[in-house]
Amino acid sequence: MGAVLTERKPFLLLLVLLTLNLILMSSRVRGSGRGSLLEDAILGVASPFLKSAAWIARGAAGTWNSYLDLRGVRVENARLQEEVAALAPKANEAEEARREMERLRQLLDLKGEVEFPTLAARVVALGSPGGARTLDLDRGSREGLRANQPVITPRGVVGRVIEAAPGIGKVQMILDPNSAVAALLQRTRIQGIVVGEGDRGCRMDYVSELANVEVGDVVVTSGLDEIYPKGYIIGVVSEIEEGEGLTKIVKVRPEVDFRRLEEVLVVLKPEGAPVRTVR
Amino acid sequence: MRIARGLLALGAACMAQVLLSRYLPSLGRRCDLFTILVVYYGLTRHQPAAMLMGTGAGLVEDSLAGSILGLNGFKKTLIGYLVGSIGSLFMLNQAIPRFGILFAATFIDPLTELMLSVALGQSFVVPGMFDLLQLGLGNGVVGLLVFWIAARIP
Repeated sequence: MGAVLTERKPFLLLLVLLTLNLILMSSRVRGSGRGSLLEDAILGVASPFLKSAAWIARGAAGTWNSYLDLRGVRVENARLQEEVAALAPKANEAEEARREMERLRQLLDLKGEVEFPTLAARVVALGSPGGARTLDLDRGSREGLRANQPVITPRGVVGRVIEAAPGIGKVQMILDPNSAVAALLQRTRIQGIVVGEGDRGCRMDYVSELANVEVGDVVVTSGLDEIYPKGYIIGVVSEIEEGEGLTKIVKVRPEVDFRRLEEVLVVLKPEGAPVRTVR
Repeated sequence: MRIARGLLALGAACMAQVLLSRYLPSLGRRCDLFTILVVYYGLTRHQPAAMLMGTGAGLVEDSLAGSILGLNGFKKTLIGYLVGSIGSLFMLNQAIPRFGILFAATFIDPLTELMLSVALGQSFVVPGMFDLLQLGLGNGVVGLLVFWIAARIP
């Protein structure tokens, strides 16, 4: 009997399970259709798995959406970078134009203050052959440039024309060691000669040991050299040293930044004409 | 331990079926992971284990699907018994016989449901042959993949 039961155990189990399922089915079919306790229990057991599935689904959906967003952002970023690259030169051009306009406006203001006719010119080269400090302008003899015409900017004196060829003019800067400008101290009216010292700036010579000079004094052109109009700023006193003999060594820092010079104004003064302009 | 593994497998099947029906509904309609699980148990475990898994999987499926409780339990128990009987008689380790068993098990399901519906006086819509073939192929392919993965789980 026992052997038969063991042999037929799977079949008996099948019958039990099928009967159980049939009972469940018939009770559900006869009932109101409402979920039974067993059904609720099964759902309770399955709910952690269902919640896990929902959690995984949410995570997967979130990751996928983030990926899609990221792709969109990447594409938009590339497009915006292209736009920026295309607009950058234009913005730069606009900024350059604005700055140039500002400089030219200042030159125009200056033009009104000068007695002689003036000519605006662009600096095309800034060179220092040997120890000299010179610059080249895009205007030359055809436009009326002559030797010894002063070159100025709204900030101050640049130098004088030393050579003028058709289409180009060469200017000796006040930094040049061979340059000499008749000058005076604005505060005390003490006179001297400003000579160039190259990269170190300028020096005012022939200032008496007894003269009242202070660091920060403004040095302007005196007009006595009959080249530069009177009253234009050359620079400010940066250092005062005891000189040999009866003079002082007065170092002058030029007001014009020669490394950033772009446009200048050439005063078209006839050679030898007296300069009476007082600023 | 075996019971825990069985419950875990059932939970995983439940989770995967929910995910499939939500995100890959076309594949979800063409494979029944509960049937695959019962067939796997029938081929790799003893007959009683396959039947118990069939009842459990069927009841979970009934609960999830909202169908008559016990209907899928009955069908899956029967599948577990039949596959378990075949599995105890033959060595079904190769892919083709296993595919055949999975394919055949797919057809047992609607046949049993048809008989039960008639017995209980319930209406039953006979599924189309093309749909059944698709389901059989889906169960076969996905089932082989599941068997391959399961064989690599320690």
